[in-house]
Amino acid sequence: MRMHSRTMRRLAGSVATLCLIATGAVAQGYAEAPMLAEKASSGELPPIEERLPTEPMVLETLDSIGEYGGTLRRAILGGGDQHNMVRLISNENLLRWSPDWSEVLPNIAESYEVSDDATTFTFRVREGMRWSDGAPFGVDDIMFWYEVFLDERLTPSKHPNYVGASGPVEVTKIDDATVEFRFGEANGLFLQNLAYGFGYYVVNYPRHYLSQFHADHNADVQALVDAEPAASDWVQLFNLKAGPMHTPLFWQNADRPTLHPWHIVEGYGATQRMVAERNPYYWKVDSEGNQLPYIDRVTWDQVEDPEAILLKAFNGEIDYMARHIGRPANLAALTDNQERGQYGFYGVGDIGSTQAGLMLNLNNPDPVKNEIVNNFDFRRALSHAVDRQEIIDLVYLGVGHPVQTAPHPSAPFYKEEWATQHTEFDPDLANELLDGIGLDQRDDDGYRLGPDGERFTLIFLVADVFGFQYPDVMELVAGYAEDVGLDVQIRASDRSRLQEIASAGEHDAYIWNCGGGLSDAYTNPYCYVPTGDAVYWAPKWAAWGVDPATGEEPPEQIKELFAAYDAVTQTADPQEQRAALETLIDKATGQLLTIGLMQSDGAFGIARNNLRNYPDPMPIAGQLWTPAPYTAQYYFEGGANLD
Amino acid sequence: MLGFVSRRVMTMVPTIFLVSIVTFLIIQLPPGDYLDTLAAELSETGGLDEGTRRALEAQYGLGQPIWVQYWKWITGIALAGDFGISFEKNLPVNDLIWDRLGWTFAISLLTLLFIWMVALPIGIYSAVRKYSMGDYVATFFGFVGLAVPNFLLALVMMYVAFKYFGQSVGGLVSPEFIGEPWGRAKIVDLLAHIWMPIVVVGTSGAAALIRIMRANLLDELYRPYVVTARAKGMSEFQLLMRYPVRVALNPFISTIGWILPSLVSGEIIVAVVMNLPTTGPLLLRALLVQDMYLAGSLIFLVSILTVIGTLISDLLLAWIDPRIRYQ
Repeated sequence: MRMHSRTMRRLAGSVATLCLIATGAVAQGYAEAPMLAEKASSGELPPIEERLPTEPMVLETLDSIGEYGGTLRRAILGGGDQHNMVRLISNENLLRWSPDWSEVLPNIAESYEVSDDATTFTFRVREGMRWSDGAPFGVDDIMFWYEVFLDERLTPSKHPNYVGASGPVEVTKIDDATVEFRFGEANGLFLQNLAYGFGYYVVNYPRHYLSQFHADHNADVQALVDAEPAASDWVQLFNLKAGPMHTPLFWQNADRPTLHPWHIVEGYGATQRMVAERNPYYWKVDSEGNQLPYIDRVTWDQVEDPEAILLKAFNGEIDYMARHIGRPANLAALTDNQERGQYGFYGVGDIGSTQAGLMLNLNNPDPVKNEIVNNFDFRRALSHAVDRQEIIDLVYLGVGHPVQTAPHPSAPFYKEEWATQHTEFDPDLANELLDGIGLDQRDDDGYRLGPDGERFTLIFLVADVFGFQYPDVMELVAGYAEDVGLDVQIRASDRSRLQEIASAGEHDAYIWNCGGGLSDAYTNPYCYVPTGDAVYWAPKWAAWGVDPATGEEPPEQIKELFAAYDAVTQTADPQEQRAALETLIDKATGQLLTIGLMQSDGAFGIARNNLRNYPDPMPIAGQLWTPAPYTAQYYFEGGANLD
Repeated sequence: MLGFVSRRVMTMVPTIFLVSIVTFLIIQLPPGDYLDTLAAELSETGGLDEGTRRALEAQYGLGQPIWVQYWKWITGIALAGDFGISFEKNLPVNDLIWDRLGWTFAISLLTLLFIWMVALPIGIYSAVRKYSMGDYVATFFGFVGLAVPNFLLALVMMYVAFKYFGQSVGGLVSPEFIGEPWGRAKIVDLLAHIWMPIVVVGTSGAAALIRIMRANLLDELYRPYVVTARAKGMSEFQLLMRYPVRVALNPFISTIGWILPSLVSGEIIVAVVMNLPTTGPLLLRALLVQDMYLAGSLIFLVSILTVIGTLISDLLLAWIDPRIRYQ
């Protein structure tokens, strides 16, 4: 009947539509690497739809969609080089920095909200996300971290990122996928800090694995303690198994589940070659639905000396490396062997506010020296006495430009007068200034006498670190100082000894580099204001800054710097943060707190000819642990290593 | 003889004990400890926070007085063969050293053989053909080998091997063989790499032995018994080998004892440069970061080697030279 056929047609139409929708949904399936597809079809692994979260994160590829396959080969030093791995395969936090380091984007957190007063941050994590061993990841794991964080036995002192002026952050579980962080006061930089390296704490504690080592969760923990030769009670066992990710401890426990694209197979230090295999439960896909990472495996061959890495690179055994070898001194040799090793170069934005800076101890315990180094004209004189261009030409082969401790020209808040003030090489002006502050008497050798009638001497500590050739720079500086009558003595030391002396504030001066040249000035301005625990040019003021009952009270202009930095941290609005930062840097550079000498325009790295999707230039900083998390979308063109 | 050996063994024990105390103290001498080094290394990326530092301190027992730490260590060795924990690698020292000790022994013994095979014939030739062209040339090369620093020679050899022979340098085996089981191809690859460290360390040791051999042999060659033997019609070669050379070997044997430890320590820099899996780089790194149980154990083992080696060389000497007998 007509009624029937119309209804039948409608019914057929809706069934057909439903079928189309269904096939559409199925066709919107995900693809996986061949090695995982094999395991999934044999039953060893669950199928791809179950391994990915309900809404996997889509990671935009930098150049093009990739091909599966290949092994990324690198080299690692025998000891102390865990950052080689941290920066390559980890750094998966709630939030991430964009590849050009310009904005904070969601990562493990699908979305987030910030309250207007910047005290409360709510994050929503992805549903269905799993750890590398298949167990589900959720807010429970974040709460487990919070439990460990608050526990005095396990965390006797807390990381400053998670502690405000009124106490540690309060973390509350709203539901299985939503978590709230609340501070007692405004914390404008919290999102940035979560995106930087140390944001890892929050999402690095798998409850299902670590609770067995915790006495409150496992009554039989003593049996595990006895089985472990390096631990004698459960607290030590827990710290061993749950070691912080930036220390070697984390990388020595291959059993610990992670959220990283590759998972280590054996502990660091145990073998000649470190291997990390693809994580089948990695929760990111590219824009076409292919599960990341593209590359199957990452290996690091252990070497004892960084020069051996150069040889390996020449021989074509390195696929992607900037660490240890990306120095101007190696550029010539690397270029010569480019064809043999089949690699090209990419830029690395390893730019601090200064690559070599003279840090006078402004809290010098000796009253005579203290008075003189705190005199602005003295620092100005020393700054004018140094021929920066000559240092650059002689020591750094002409690479770099003369600068005061200030942001780099590529920083959004750069101002030329900050970088160039007091940098002219003018020994006459230096002599004039030094005469003017009362150092006009000289002894028989031509060195100036201090106000106490004794020769005025500054002892500089020098350690040969980072490949920046500080001993050579210091020799030249000592020469320039002698030309204006200042006695500069150089004491060579090794790194840990230097830092021990400097952190105790017992030194006259030392030479080191300074961060804060680019956007890390927001979170790491330790050369503009004495904040943090690496401030060796004014350790007592830094202590006062943390707790006014300790350290030494600084003069007014330093207190102004603290106030200026507070203005940065207390607002969550990027415009206001930038304005406050510019005020801070303006005040800081005007005072010449540290005497910057030169700034590089970046280092470089090498990448194999068929590697794709790596950022060029690659931003990097002390707390910006690049290239992760973008290594997941690197791939080899052709799906295999070049031979 | 047995009495002699047992008396020597009894004096060995207190010697080794004293060496272990001195070693442990010296390693502790630099101010600070492993955690300071760890903190310094981490300071670029944000530092070692107090919480982790205190936890690690309790774990490694670093806050305790030095004699407590020493006592724990030495009783562990004596009673359980347990050499302690390496702080940096968080593994028992036992797991780390035996593999490497094996390689160290192998390379050192091969080097010793190389030195003897090179030094003895050249030394004999130098003495017999005194002041000839061959003598001067051999001596010249010997001294060049002695004067050029080992690591420089190592670097030059690595460069030549890399540039002109296309070999993969850096390590005892090429990267494709790392982690593979031992097969014929791997052994051939090993031989292609291992001759370099042996030659580098061997050339400097050979020079000294060449001169010693030459000097001793010259003392013997003009003795009456040699003239007699020649007069009696013995062939030159036979009379040379059976009498003067055996006497001139005396100092070689007596120095076996400490040649092994000197090889073990002499190859540290070469091992670092050439990336060999021996105890040298491990010891260097342990000393730099004050990983005291690892460093202490390695030095302890090397000093045991020395003491045992001296005993063996004394016994060998007594066996070879009939003039030496215990009074």
